[in-house]
Amino acid sequence: MRGQDVVLDGVEITYPNGFRAVERTDLTIAAGEFFSILGPSGCGKTTLLRAVSGFVTPSSGRVLIGGADQAGKGPNARPTALIFQNLALFPLMSVRDNVAFGLEARGVARRERHARAEELLALVALADQADKKPTELSGGQRQRVAIARALAVEPAVLLLDEPLSALDLKLRSHMRAELRAIQKQTGVTFIYITHDQGEALTMSDRVAVMNKGRIEQVGTGDAIYSAPETAFAATFVGEVNRIAGRVVAVEPEYARVETPLGVFRARNPRGLAVGAVAWLFVRPEAMQIGLDENAIPATLQRRDLEGPFVALHFSAGTEAGMGQALSLHRTNMGGIEVIGTEMRLGFRAADALVLPEGALAETGQELAAQ
Amino acid sequence: MTSDRLLTAFTWTFLAFMFAPLALMIVASFNDVSPPSVTDWRGFTFKWYEFFWMDEARLRADPVLRTLDRERFYGCMGNSVQVAAVVVPLALVLGLAGAVMLTRWQSRANGLLWWVLLSPMLAPGVILGLSALVFWNRLGVDAGLFTIMMAQVTFVAGYPMLMLMARLQRQPPELEEAALDLGAGPFRVFRRITLPYLAPALASAAVICALASVENYNTTMFAKGGACTFATEIGAMARNANGHPPVINAVGTIIILVTVAFALAGALTRKREARV
Ligand SMILES: Nc1ncnc2c1ncn2[C@@H]1O[C@H](COP(=O)(O)OP(=O)(O)OP(=O)(O)O)[C@@H](O)[C@H]1O
Ligand SMILES: [Mg+2]
Repeated sequence: MRGQDVVLDGVEITYPNGFRAVERTDLTIAAGEFFSILGPSGCGKTTLLRAVSGFVTPSSGRVLIGGADQAGKGPNARPTALIFQNLALFPLMSVRDNVAFGLEARGVARRERHARAEELLALVALADQADKKPTELSGGQRQRVAIARALAVEPAVLLLDEPLSALDLKLRSHMRAELRAIQKQTGVTFIYITHDQGEALTMSDRVAVMNKGRIEQVGTGDAIYSAPETAFAATFVGEVNRIAGRVVAVEPEYARVETPLGVFRARNPRGLAVGAVAWLFVRPEAMQIGLDENAIPATLQRRDLEGPFVALHFSAGTEAGMGQALSLHRTNMGGIEVIGTEMRLGFRAADALVLPEGALAETGQELAAQ
Repeated sequence: MTSDRLLTAFTWTFLAFMFAPLALMIVASFNDVSPPSVTDWRGFTFKWYEFFWMDEARLRADPVLRTLDRERFYGCMGNSVQVAAVVVPLALVLGLAGAVMLTRWQSRANGLLWWVLLSPMLAPGVILGLSALVFWNRLGVDAGLFTIMMAQVTFVAGYPMLMLMARLQRQPPELEEAALDLGAGPFRVFRRITLPYLAPALASAAVICALASVENYNTTMFAKGGACTFATEIGAMARNANGHPPVINAVGTIIILVTVAFALAGALTRKREARV
């Protein structure tokens, strides 16, 4: 098996009822890449995936796989295999026949396709379950049958639509590792859809952050986490403190932002000009107690022990409780802070970002947790 | 409270209305008197059932049974079997095509199509029978078993269509999509995924079609020409000058038993399916 590259060239998808589910998108996914599309519910991830697999025709633009334009090719003529959100295993067929179905459709003789199905079932450690019906398997086993069934047709591109969302936490992290291993082993291009940022960051070579039908940023997990380009990417991926303000001065690569809590200095990757309405973003782990740079006086409201680290929740500003919420993560090595203590927080300018105002992932954490 | 009691009373009255005639009919089928009666009890007998297989001598000896034409009755029943043997598969194929078209083919004409395909179920049977008769006569086909079949199919096909539609709407669309995605053509998807999924519904639809075909009276009556079927023959017997013979009660009882048996079988298989 060998992966192929996928190119979306000006793809735009409008549903028959007139709803524009995917805005004009240009995207190149390399052969053999593990590429994730991360975004909140309803942002158009499934729609985009269905355009690659051939169930949805883009209203404009082209989909190319391995350099070949896929226009006019149905799902059964494309070198892709889709793993559905609900898996869609055939309930009336045995596990073996499920896995062999793609080969049956290609006219492979019965003995040969059963032998191949059993090889693949061995690959996903289900060799002894071949005669069962899908309903007789556990969630994780069903998951692996779906993977084996998709791999049986030797796709160049495997499309996965939130395949782990139905599994419990432990099984999910196990399957993540397994998927990653299978991808490495087969060299197939994976396009993996998820609204779970942890999943996207741990598994992928690159991640695309999508919101409201638009891909906002594409990059490695590290790049997206440490250098988000939009307010949405900053708030959807990971936790972040944000303070609303206005740019009052610019210097090379940095800007000063005036906020209700004072004037702060931070990186200005988008080159905002003086007067621009902006958000200031600081990750909780970049906040430090007692630092003089970008200092903010704040009152400790809550202390959450998260195990390896401690999350401290502060309120800054004049009236306690009405002020700006700020959180700080520190390693779990210090003492125990007393609630209600006044402290001086600060952050290095290099660890903070000024980004233009824009849509925020207001409930990004809650959605991702669902 | 009173409304509760009213509802209970209504329910029981309704059930009595529905089932009292059936109960009377069954009781009368065991009473040795013709025309059938439950008040005038002349002794318990099986002979109205035995009519269908008793030997010739015994038949001749009975004053009521001897007036009935048993051979003709057998012939008409055979006709019904022939008609059902054609109507059931034809109705299943048509109903299946209609159901697939209406559920899988999202077209704006669907609403109209639905009414067109189901209107024969709602149209008076007389009209169906007559129109089949007129239509096929024009084409040079005389009224007979063939016109009965054609007339029956027009409305019988509605039953499998409704039943299969209900089942198809419950099938997750991803199953067919997954098969297509794995490289299967539309025909293979239908044969390997959709059809097996429909099999239980097809089986129960076949039973209902067979019952509908055999027991149909009004449409058949107008399309039959000189031919007869089980239902028209029962009808003819009922118009006997000496009142209808209790043999009809015996037949009715058997029909009730068969229907109940199928209903039970259906309920049992559904229960088994629900468990899987
Ligand atoms: N057949 C359709 N016709 C019209 N609108 C649709 C159709 N399918 C989806 N949509 C709309 O398009 C948008 C994107 O849907 P899509 O299924 O791609 O979202 P998603 O990102 O996969 O969400 P989720 O994470 O919940 O699966 C949604 O607002 C949805 O309501
Ligand atoms: Mg989706």
